[in-house]
Amino acid sequence: MAMPVSGVPTETVGGPRQWGGSAQLPAGRAFARVGRAVRSNRKATIGTILLVIFILIALFPWVIARDSPTQDAYTPQLGISTAHLLGTNHYGQDLFSQLVWGTRNVLIIAFAVGLAATGIAVLIGIAAAYLGGIWDNSLNVLTDVLLVIPLFPLLIIIAAYARGGTTLVLITAITLTSWSYTARQLRSQALTLRDRDFLEAARVRGERKLYIIVVEVIPTMTSLIVASFLTNALYAVLFASSLQFIGLGDPNTVSWGTTLYWAQNNAALQTGEPLWAIAPGACIAVLGAGFALLNYAFDEIGNPALRPVRKVRQMKGTEQRV
Amino acid sequence: MRRLTRYGVIIAAGLLAVGCSAGASSSSGSGSAQTSTNSTLTISNENGALWTCGFSPLNTSDTLLSVGFVYEPLVFVNPLQNGKTTPMLATSWTWGPGNKSLTFTIRQGVKWSDGTPMTAADVAFTFNLIKKYPALDLTGVWSVLASVTATGNTVTMTFSTAGAVPYFYYIADQTPIVPQHIWSTLGNPVTNPIAKPVGTGPYLMSKCSPQNITYTANPHYWQPGEPKVAKIQYPAYTSNNTANDDLANGSAQWGAQYIPSIQTFYTARNPNFHYWFPPTVNVSLLPNLTNPLLSNVKVREAMSYAIDRNQVSTIGESGYEPPANQAGIVTPTFSSSLDNAALTSWGNSYDPAKAKALLASAGFHPGAGGIMTNAAGQKLSFTVINIGDYSDWVASMQVIQQDLKAVGIQITPDDLSNTDFDADLFFGKYQLAYYDQQTFGPSAYYELNNWLNSADTAPVGKTAASNYERYSNPATDKLLNEYATTTSTSMQQSIMNQIQQVMVTQVPFIPVTEAVDWYQYDTGPFTGWPTPGDPYAQPSAYAFPDNEQVLLHLAPK
Amino acid sequence: MRYALRRLGFFVVTLWVALTLNFLLPRLMPGNPALAMLTKFRDLSATPQTLHALEILFGVNSQQSLLSQYGSYLGHILTGNLGISLSEYPTPVTTVIGSAIWWTLGLVGVATILAFILGTGLGIVSAWRRGSKLDSIVPPTFVITSAIPYFWVAMVLVLIFGLTLHWFPSQGGYYVTTDTPGLNFTFFQDVINHAFLPAVSLLITTIGTWILTMRNTMITTLAEDYVRMARAKGLPGRRIMFDYAARNAILPNLTGFAMSLGFVVSGAILIEYVFNYPGVGYMLLQAVSGEDYPLMQGLFLLITVAVLFAILVADLLTALLDPRTRTAR
Repeated sequence: MAMPVSGVPTETVGGPRQWGGSAQLPAGRAFARVGRAVRSNRKATIGTILLVIFILIALFPWVIARDSPTQDAYTPQLGISTAHLLGTNHYGQDLFSQLVWGTRNVLIIAFAVGLAATGIAVLIGIAAAYLGGIWDNSLNVLTDVLLVIPLFPLLIIIAAYARGGTTLVLITAITLTSWSYTARQLRSQALTLRDRDFLEAARVRGERKLYIIVVEVIPTMTSLIVASFLTNALYAVLFASSLQFIGLGDPNTVSWGTTLYWAQNNAALQTGEPLWAIAPGACIAVLGAGFALLNYAFDEIGNPALRPVRKVRQMKGTEQRV
Repeated sequence: MRRLTRYGVIIAAGLLAVGCSAGASSSSGSGSAQTSTNSTLTISNENGALWTCGFSPLNTSDTLLSVGFVYEPLVFVNPLQNGKTTPMLATSWTWGPGNKSLTFTIRQGVKWSDGTPMTAADVAFTFNLIKKYPALDLTGVWSVLASVTATGNTVTMTFSTAGAVPYFYYIADQTPIVPQHIWSTLGNPVTNPIAKPVGTGPYLMSKCSPQNITYTANPHYWQPGEPKVAKIQYPAYTSNNTANDDLANGSAQWGAQYIPSIQTFYTARNPNFHYWFPPTVNVSLLPNLTNPLLSNVKVREAMSYAIDRNQVSTIGESGYEPPANQAGIVTPTFSSSLDNAALTSWGNSYDPAKAKALLASAGFHPGAGGIMTNAAGQKLSFTVINIGDYSDWVASMQVIQQDLKAVGIQITPDDLSNTDFDADLFFGKYQLAYYDQQTFGPSAYYELNNWLNSADTAPVGKTAASNYERYSNPATDKLLNEYATTTSTSMQQSIMNQIQQVMVTQVPFIPVTEAVDWYQYDTGPFTGWPTPGDPYAQPSAYAFPDNEQVLLHLAPK
Repeated sequence: MRYALRRLGFFVVTLWVALTLNFLLPRLMPGNPALAMLTKFRDLSATPQTLHALEILFGVNSQQSLLSQYGSYLGHILTGNLGISLSEYPTPVTTVIGSAIWWTLGLVGVATILAFILGTGLGIVSAWRRGSKLDSIVPPTFVITSAIPYFWVAMVLVLIFGLTLHWFPSQGGYYVTTDTPGLNFTFFQDVINHAFLPAVSLLITTIGTWILTMRNTMITTLAEDYVRMARAKGLPGRRIMFDYAARNAILPNLTGFAMSLGFVVSGAILIEYVFNYPGVGYMLLQAVSGEDYPLMQGLFLLITVAVLFAILVADLLTALLDPRTRTAR
């Protein structure tokens, strides 16, 4: 799994203050701002393109893959050809169509967990920041504890007790265990926003806490919330495929992780069918790269200090400038 | 800055160099773990766990490590040659009148590995020990035995029933003889791990660690000049891949492995690498006969005709497990028992048109989604339980599912863990199941008796011993019980023919493929391997006491 | 001191949560999964003590109330009684785990330390040389590598270096039939030989995070006033980079190290699986497929305790090195 990359301030060290000059924009314009930023940032563009391609594949798989992914209809162990873009596997199934049709399951998991986990993270992170006091302390402890307990072994145990997870079991288990990192980030940012002038103004106006949170705070944190969604989606893809790979998913569903499971079971690497094992992993890597690039780009959008520096023509003698 | 990158490159190069040299020097041999010295045999049998270094021949987890190597039975009975016998610790035997007693003459001059002579008293002791501690009675011999006594150099066994004839296999071949002078002092033989086994067999267990067991030749073994292979290594493999790799690179010579794509992976690497998978029992689709729709014989017949067994064998089992037949006789192992009349009356085993015709005559017509429905609105839609861990069974089930769909029968696989599957199967909580019998004997009777004898079944909600589909027919019981009382081969064959008629007319279960013994062998360093042309024993390293026969035939080149 | 006590307190709380989770999970699942396991133990003629231990660990067949089960459970665990392993019956779980733990410690320890050193170094350099060629390649490359599934890297390495080039063995920890574990050179060489590819896999997949985190914190540190002051004073670049900036930037990295340990563990499990490397991760997956729940539980607890302990040490180390954390919050 990718480890969390952080340019956003965490609890223990004071980080740079949030540079938000556009803090007063309502939600709609916040998204427009995001859109503009995506277009101008190269990483974001690449990431978005990758994601869009995969979404299209998931929505309309029959457009590029004519063959059924499950029918054992073809000669086994064919190599790459125009009829079978990635060859056939040991059971005579077309590998390319398996991957194409499998995209659906992967993206469903990614988006379901992404939304659910981010939802929980927003709820808990912001609530902790605003409710303060004992709520803050206890939610904090809960978040920190879940952050520290190693998640993958916990998922393995849960899936093992569930005796083989359907996709729903996977989604539920991953959602319930992986929200803590993003919750922490959201709480940190919410804390820094708490004393801002515009919020003070809202409080003085007499607005209720819930209104402040929903109308003022959340739109300001749009870019971080989107980044959280991307982080959670990325981890969902990696965790879910890993669980399916080791056999804790449902081996009868069509998904990249289960294709890997069958490949590993049939010693694909050693029997001269390496594509069977390498191709699904490559798909996961590319999708993950899409999420990760977008995520990193959002880090930069949110924290201008990290934005790439356009190198200015220097005079001879100076090495670099910050 | 530049200096730093230079350092970095040097360090990285250094690490690579160390790594590569470590790699190169060890693999400069032949890429193999060890080039086997001529008289060390390495076995590749993946067991899924490390060794616990217990060697009790009466403990199911340890039998495969002790019986055949250290312990021996009275007689070797070869299931692959229709029960041909080879005297081991017993030199001869005779059935008493009415087959109600059996007397063995025990071989003289055999010594235990600690030097004490082996006598008939040890044999009697072994059987009476099993009687005293039922947990040791792995094959249930005391369900037919009445008494076992030793007199001089003979042992006489009396039976409580006339139907004990098939139990000869379990008594003579499947019961390892243990030394009285050691086991009588053990305390509880059920829990004692027997870390230092003492037996009459060709090998001594000389070293055991969780990762590997080493056996060395027993210098006092009673067969002169045997064994010819001086040392055996039996590593504990926890994964199939590693076990298969060791076979493929020659560091193990005797395999008991399931190897995917065996030609590319194994036989193509070396002309001395061979494999042979002799079939043993049927892997079958079991209908729960208490289910109202499945109790209709026409539905079951239709299912049998709808399944393309060749395709299941080729795709699901990679061609390793041959297609089975509805008569239930495993071929070629028991081909001599096959009743051609039964097979001819059954006709072509793959006949989807006939399947559809049968369903139509049973009152089914294609309904919503193409699923066969009858006038009462009942659909032919079932769940089938399967063991999720057995990926080849899961793959086979996918083929079966597609085949049945083509005739309008919908099945949904439910892949369960081993324990869940067992629970559902034993208690009858399923509609269809995919399974094979776990025990095997020297004729087709053993398997079919397990499937069809009503003594081995139980109502749904109680545990069935082996008749999981809940089949019960007094006429069939009569046939099976009659078989158990006779030693006449002609009588046995006539009964088997009638049983096969039962299989094709009543279709109590549907055999799909034939499970096999897994076996790979390397003829480079050793000769004497069992082959299809010379099937002198079951060739798998985990089959006991057949493994002893293999070890006695092997010789270094 | 107060800080240390607070961190210790957190350690204890998290441990307690993990133990309770471990206790509750099998009891919460529909149809207690351990019930079926009980029959397996009975088939192995398990002693009454073993069966009783199973009751405590999984709540099967128990006459006691949940609370008293919990009490006995905590008692058992804290005295080191983790039950008997099903797949290695009758070996106790602690012994079984003991055989695997050194392999993982070795592999993960060495790979993580290397990744930390190399990653931090590259991160520092990359941040210092913002806007240079190096810096334009580094972030995107390692952002991508940090999203690659661990097992995929392992598989590619196995395919290329193990199976095609035959430079390194692609399975196992050492050659079991030829080498006996011991303090001899051939054994060590064999171990390194077998550990090389798994370690490189772990290195490749985890190094990305070090680099990126270090780079990010370095960048923000370099914007601080005292760095500007140092530059104004005319101190040489390398001195500023290491003595001023890196030293301060590395501290949040230490905390990040602790947090990412969970992910390192996940990676180790998957990499051990692909390489059949006989460590605790591989053993966990074997236990799962063998439905050996006592062993599974024991391994989960071990892994959790190890990670928590490492985090505690990292936290205390941070407190020692960075006075700010002691007074922060």
